[in-house]
Amino acid sequence: MISKTLFLRETKSNYKIVLIFLAVLTMYGSMVVAMFDPKLGESLRAMAESMPQIFSAFGMTSVADTLIDFLASYLYGMIFIFFPLIFIILVSNRIMARYIERGSMAYLLATPTKRSTVAFTEAIFLIIGCFILAVYVTVLCITTSAILFPGDLDIGRFIILNIGLFGVFLCFSGICYCSTCLFSDSKYPYAIGASLCVVFVLIKMISQVSDKADKFKYATPLTLFDTSGIITGETSAYIGILILYGIGIILYGIGIRYFSRRDLSI
Amino acid sequence: MKVIEVDHITKDYGNQKGVFDVSFFVNKGEVVGFLGPNGAGKTTTIRQLMGFLHPDEGKVSILGMDCFEQASTIQKSLGYLPGEITFMDDMTGLEFLHFIAKMKKMKDFSYAENLMSYFELDPKGKIKKMSKGMKQKIGIVCAFMNQPDILILDEPTSGLDPLMQNKFVDLILEEKKRGATILMSSHLFEEVEKTCDRAVIIKEGKIMEDAQIEKLKHNRKKVYEITFASREMATQFLENTSYKEAEVSENVITISMSSSTDQFIKSLATYEILDLNVKTQSLEELFMTFYGGKNND
Repeated sequence: MISKTLFLRETKSNYKIVLIFLAVLTMYGSMVVAMFDPKLGESLRAMAESMPQIFSAFGMTSVADTLIDFLASYLYGMIFIFFPLIFIILVSNRIMARYIERGSMAYLLATPTKRSTVAFTEAIFLIIGCFILAVYVTVLCITTSAILFPGDLDIGRFIILNIGLFGVFLCFSGICYCSTCLFSDSKYPYAIGASLCVVFVLIKMISQVSDKADKFKYATPLTLFDTSGIITGETSAYIGILILYGIGIILYGIGIRYFSRRDLSI
Repeated sequence: MKVIEVDHITKDYGNQKGVFDVSFFVNKGEVVGFLGPNGAGKTTTIRQLMGFLHPDEGKVSILGMDCFEQASTIQKSLGYLPGEITFMDDMTGLEFLHFIAKMKKMKDFSYAENLMSYFELDPKGKIKKMSKGMKQKIGIVCAFMNQPDILILDEPTSGLDPLMQNKFVDLILEEKKRGATILMSSHLFEEVEKTCDRAVIIKEGKIMEDAQIEKLKHNRKKVYEITFASREMATQFLENTSYKEAEVSENVITISMSSSTDQFIKSLATYEILDLNVKTQSLEELFMTFYGGKNND
C-alpha cells in the first residue's frame, strides 16, 4: 500500500519546510504561553471590552482566567490554525499536484507501482506532516507551561484540544489533497482547495465579529472545532471533532480513488 | 506472439484531435517504428499503452494484460521513455536514477552505470540545470537500465546530437539482439530505417500505413531523368506511352514510378537517348508523402 522509497524521497524533499514551520510555531507558541499571567486577566478584560470586534475576530472571545482558556483563545483560535494551513497548502502542492502538472508522475507510474499506492503514499505523507505539527505544538505548550506555570495546565483537556486541532488539519489537508487529485488539469490545481480553506478561515473570523454575522458560522467546518466546548467537556464538541476526522478521511478517500481511475495527460 | 496489441481504439478529444479506430500490434522481438507528424496521435496512443489514459472505445493490451487495469504488473517488464522530459527538479541526476531504480526494485545498478558511461552522461549535477540533451540521456538510462523485455520510447533521440543519435541506434540494435520488443515513435527516418523491422504510420489520428521496412523500401519510387536527342522525340515518347507523372522541359523528361521497370526500358529502346539518370526515392521522401498529405501512388 505504501511505497517506502517514495515516502523517503518526499521526506528528503520536504523536511526543511516542516522544520521552518516548527520554528514559527515554537516562536508563537512559547511566546503566548509566556504572556499568560493569572493576574493579567483583569487588564486584558478591560482591553477586550474597549475593542471587542478586533478581539473576537481573532477568536479571543472570552478573556481567560485559566491557562487552558488562555491558550485556547490566543493560539487555537487563529495562530495554530492559520500557520499550519499555510504548511498544508505548500506541501499538498509539492506532492501530488506538482508531479501531475509537470508530468514527472509518468516516471513514477512507469515503475511497478500502483497508482493507488502512489496516491496513498502521498496522502500518508501529508497526514504525517500535519500529525508532526499537532504533536509538536502539544508537547511544546505542555513543556513551556510546565516550566513557566507548573501545575496550571489541565493536561488531559489540553490533549483533547489538540486531538481536535489535528482534526482541523485533517479536514483542511483533505480538502487540499482531494482538490489536487480532482482538478489537476486546471491551471492552478492546488489553488482551488487552498482558496477554499482560506475562505473557511475568513468566514470564521467574520462570524465571530458580531452577532449579526453569527449565521456564517454554519458555512465553515472550523465551527466544528469548538475550543470552549472541548474545555468544558461538552458532548457536541466531541462530536464536532469526530465529524472533522470524518470529513478529512472521506476527502482523502475520494482523492485517492479518483486519482487511481482518472485519465492523466502526462 | 503479439506482445503489444492495440485493438480498434478511439480516444476523441474533439476538433478531430485524438486517435480514431487505431489498430496495430508488435510481435515479440520486433522493433516497430511509430511515425507521424506532430499532433497525429502518437503520444495519445502511447499514453494508453502506459495506462495513463482510458480508450473511449477499443482495447489496449500488453502481454495479454489490460493496459489500464493491470498497469503495475505490465510495468515490471516494461521500460518507458516519455516524450516530454520532466523529472523531479530538486534532485540530482544520479539521485533521480537511484530513486527510479529503487522504485523499479532493481538490485543491480551496474548496467545503469554502463549506460551512463556509454552516453557520456555525468549525472551529478542538479537536473534543473541540465541541458535538454543531458535530460534526454537520463530518460534513456531510466528506460533501459533494468533491461526490460518491452520498451516503449516516445521520440527517444530528440535533443541528442548526431553522435549520440548513432550511439542510440546501436543500443537499439543491441537490445534487438537481446530479444527486446520495441515500439518507438520517431521523426528521424534514418533512425527508423536502421533499427526498425516495421513502420506504423499515423496521421490525424488514423493509421495510414503498416508495413515492413523492406517492403516500404521495395515500393519506393524511382525517378528517371531521360534526355532525348530532340524535343520532338520527347513529346513523341509521351504521346505513345501513358506515364502520367512526367515532367517535360525541352528534351528532358522526368518520370517517377515504383514498378514496371522492364516495360519502361523497352519502350525507351526505339528512341535516341543522350542521357539516363536514375534516382531512388529515399525512405524519408516516401514518409513525406504521408506527412504532407499528398497521395501515395
